[in-house]
Parts: sequence; C-alpha cells; structure tokens
Amino acid sequence: MAAKLAIAVPAKGRLKDTAAALFERAGLALRKTGHERGYSGVVHGLDGVKVAFLSAAEIVHQLKAGRVHIGLTGEDLIRETLPDVEGSVEFLRPLGFGRADVVVAVPDCWIDVARMADLEDVAAQFARVHGRRLRVATKYLNLTRRFFARAGVAGYRIVESVGATEGTPAAGTAELIVDITTTGTTLAANHLKVLEDGLILQSQAHLFAARGAEWTKSTMRLRDAILDQLSSAAKEVGD
Amino acid sequence: MAAESVRKFEALEAQAAILLDVFKRGGFEQVAPSIIQPADIFLDQIGEAIRGRTYVFTDLTGEELCLRPDLTVPVSRLYLERHPRADVEARYCYNGPAFRFQQKGASQTHPREFRQAGIECFGVADRDNADAEVVLLVADAVRSAGLKQFRFRFGDIALFFALLDALSLPERWRLKLRHYFWRPPAFHTLLSRLAKGEAPDSDGPVAEFAATLAAQTPSRAEELVANYLETNDLPLSGNRTMSEITERLLDHAADLRAEPLPREVATVIDYYLAVEASPREAIDRIALIGQGAGIDLGPALYVLYRRFDLLEERGINVDAASFATEFGRDLEYYSGLVFQIEVTGDKTSPIAGGGRYDGLLRSVGARAEVPAVGSAIHTERLLAAVKGLS
Repeated sequence: MAAKLAIAVPAKGRLKDTAAALFERAGLALRKTGHERGYSGVVHGLDGVKVAFLSAAEIVHQLKAGRVHIGLTGEDLIRETLPDVEGSVEFLRPLGFGRADVVVAVPDCWIDVARMADLEDVAAQFARVHGRRLRVATKYLNLTRRFFARAGVAGYRIVESVGATEGTPAAGTAELIVDITTTGTTLAANHLKVLEDGLILQSQAHLFAARGAEWTKSTMRLRDAILDQLSSAAKEVGD
Repeated sequence: MAAESVRKFEALEAQAAILLDVFKRGGFEQVAPSIIQPADIFLDQIGEAIRGRTYVFTDLTGEELCLRPDLTVPVSRLYLERHPRADVEARYCYNGPAFRFQQKGASQTHPREFRQAGIECFGVADRDNADAEVVLLVADAVRSAGLKQFRFRFGDIALFFALLDALSLPERWRLKLRHYFWRPPAFHTLLSRLAKGEAPDSDGPVAEFAATLAAQTPSRAEELVANYLETNDLPLSGNRTMSEITERLLDHAADLRAEPLPREVATVIDYYLAVEASPREAIDRIALIGQGAGIDLGPALYVLYRRFDLLEERGINVDAASFATEFGRDLEYYSGLVFQIEVTGDKTSPIAGGGRYDGLLRSVGARAEVPAVGSAIHTERLLAAVKGLS
C-alpha cells in the first residue's frame, strides 16, 4: 500500500474554525475518526490522507521533525520557532486569513519615542536612572532578538509572557512589548502605540510542506491535489 | 550531542591542580560558586546578547534560573554573600564548568560546556597594584602549566571615558557616546551623525511641542509635559517617569538648535579608536592625539605608563604585547584595564582573559562601587596549546 500523506491542522485557537471551513469549502471536509474528542481524522472523499489535529505550536514541531508532510499554521510561529526556516519548510500557499502583525509597542505617554532608534537612547537613560535594562515582554523571543539586533538596540532584556502581554507595561513588569495585533484595538485600549518602524512581521495562516518528510510519488500527488482544491477555495474567501 | 563532557579528563584535572596551586600560593582562597544561578542578574546586567548564549530554564516553582555562562558574576555574588557590606579585601580562585550555547554548533575551541580556572580580587583600593597582581598571577599560572609562547593584548576602558571627559562637548552627547561605546556599529553612526550636524526630525506634533520647551527650566518643562499628556489623553503609566520623558524632549529641543559636533572632535575620537600598537608606542600616539586636540590626558596616561612599568619590572615583556583602544568593547561590565592572553595571534580564541569591573558589584547588590579585577583561563584551550594541538 502506498504511504499516506500526513497533514496537520489546528485543533484549537484562532485559526481552527476558519481552517476547517476552508477545507470544507474546498470539498475536503475534515472528519475526526474514532472518538469525537480524538485528535486524528481523515479527509472526506480523499483516500490516502491522514489528518492530525494539533496545537499551532505542535504543528511547527511536527513539520520540523518531518513527521507530517503538510501543516497549516501561522507564519509568526514558523519564523519564531525554526532556526532554519528555508531549510525546514516550504511555503506552499498563504491562505488569506489569520492575519496578524508582530509589532513593537510602547506606552503612548512616551511622546519622546517614535522609532526603534529612540529605544537605545531610552535604554541608556533608563539604565542611568533605574540601574537596569529595559524589559520587553513577549512570547516571540527569537523574532524580538533578531529584529532588535538589526535595529542596533541592545540595552534591553526579554521577559517571557504567554498571555495578557499588553497589560505588562501598566503593571510595571515590563517597559514595552512585542506582540501580535490585528486591528490595534487592544493596544490602544491599553494605551500602547506601535513604533513607526516597529513592524516585525506581517503574518497570516500558511500551508507549509516539511522538507524532512518522506516524499513519494503518491504523497506528492496528494499534496498537489489538496493544494489545487484549497487554492481555488481560498481565492473566494477574500480578506 | 556528545556523551562525554571532555576528553583528556585526567590531563585537565592535573592541569587544574597546577593552576589552583599557583593561585593559592598567590594568596587566593579556593571557592566553589553555584553552577545554577538566578537568571535575572545575568539578563539584567549582560543583556540579550548573552542570554542568546545562556541556558535559561524555569524550575518547578517558576523561578527563572540559568547554568552559569561564566564565573565572574557567580564569584561576585559569593563575595557579597560573605561580606554584605563589601568592605573587606578578598581574593578568590576557582576551577569549574561554565556553559554556553554555540550558535554555529559546538566545536573543540568553542565547546558548549567548558572549564574555567580563574581569580577575582575584590575591595583592593590600590587599583594599579591589584591590576598588576592579577595579570602577573595569570601569566605565572599558564607558564606553570607549560605554556611557553604567548602574548598579551591590553586595552583600557577608563582611558576612553577620560578622553570623552576631556573633550569639549555637550553633556547629553557625552552620556550618549559613553553608552554607545559598547555598541560599536551604532557608535560610529551616532558619531558621524553628530559631526554632520544632522538635526533630529523636526516634523510632527511632538517635535513641535518639544521645540516649545527649549527655553524652559526643567521643572517648568515637566509641568508643560504633564499638561500635554493630560490634554491628549495619554496617561502616564509604567516605570518611566515624567522627568525622564521631559529630559529626552529637552535633549531633543537642544539637538534641534545645536551646532554640529566640531569635525576635530569627531576626528580625535576616530583616531583614538584606531590606535593599536605595542603599549608604550600606543600611549605615545594617544598623547600626541590629545596634544593635537589641545586636551590633557596626562593623569590617565600616567596610570597606564605606571601599570606597564610595574608589569615589566616583574617580568612581563611589555614591548612584545599589543595595546588596542577598541579592545574590550564587547563586555559592558568592564571599567578599566582589559587584557587577554593569546597564542599565535589568534584573537578569537584567547587562552585567558580578564579585566577590571568596578561597577559590577553594585549591580548585583552592593551599595556602592567596589574595586574588582579578575581573570579566567579557558582550560581546554590552554591544554590544547600546551600539547601543541589546535
């Protein structure tokens, strides 16, 4: 029997429902097998495919390890998690949903700060007055480090934050944040502003192929079939 | 991942015994600082560049910890724990593992896990003698371990700060240049920007508002900033204060009207940072640069002369060493003498390194600055050099 194509889709989180709807519209409805709360399934009407319902972060790990052929997740997680993005995955297709910008945001009362270049000056002043570095709350450790290094900002340290990041400056546990934003409403409600050149990444949901997976003629044919059907369905989604 | 932390373990242990013996005979007490350290201190003081190379983890209570990336901070904490008032002289030596993530993959010259043997000297007010004592003892130690050919590279952070203090420039620029010294690419951008007289952005409502502050006293300016924030629904929040925000706006206003940094001043700084020669030749060149700029670096240079005389009197071949004004710009806690021991001119894999770090103890909890100087030997590299391996 030919090897099956393994595809990973979000089991929860902000991408889950839209992803399921997209497959449905493409005539590739995802069906769970076994228990309703289980984590494996099949694609209705397409033999030779097994579906894994996973968390967005786990999808990235499975892609990296080559344990699934195709994964649907956000570009932000891929770029944050994989040390060698191009060597690990292929960007098959942007899907037009799950859009989110990863940005650098500071309290809007910092009227003396507009750009990344201001941050190093603020860091110098902050160290002089408070005796320590600026703290940046984020879950994007690697994106932050790379972006700040490129901008020449070094006088900071990261504090890891996995939830309610936008509340940390007001709470005093960080001075600024790196976080995702879709409309900017949450940032504004927390009196934060995005730096003029503080856009780190414009992320959206993507279909990725794992370079390390076992690719055979049959899995490649299945990949192309899924891609074709999803592509025509995705065009209709609009933004 | 390698299953063995180090090959030639017996040879390393034997070498460590020799090094520690030299240190102890020199009056340094052997100590064993914790391998697991609080992450906070390293991250606050050394920043993300080192965090990227430090194994940081969270234990079951949620405390953020790390495997020590070097031993200077752990030994400094040990000194403060024993002497909370930091008011006594103490000399410690150690030998033990340190851990660093190697981005390009671990290798023999850049292992993930390595052993450092070293000395730290705290609270000695006679800095010149303490500096010389540490340099000489480390040289003695590597020589005793069998290293015959090596040379010193020196630098001095305090000399750059003395130069900045002597130059005529606005205090806000002096502070900036001091800070950016540790970020070489940004430093050079800043210097050329100041020299070209590029004004900061003068457009936008905030710049316009900042300009109106120019003639105000700091306290009046602070009131105006408070009003501005209130009018524009920008409540003050977080740890930065109104006076910090005001100070930067006033700096901005001053920069808008400032004359460019005189070309000569920027040139002096550029010339200074390009000096690399044998120590005495370097000092002569720096003196000339100072004279040309009409500034007196005498006292700072005298300290350097005296230090090299002391070293020479006690057997170091000073003329074979090199002195580079750029050297030491990568570790922000150094405050004076910096040095390393190299073989075959390899700058990137020194056998030993060290320097003066008078500010570090305050940042790990001391109430004031504490004179401190130390040095660490990369023992695997020393062994490889002694055995003629590369």
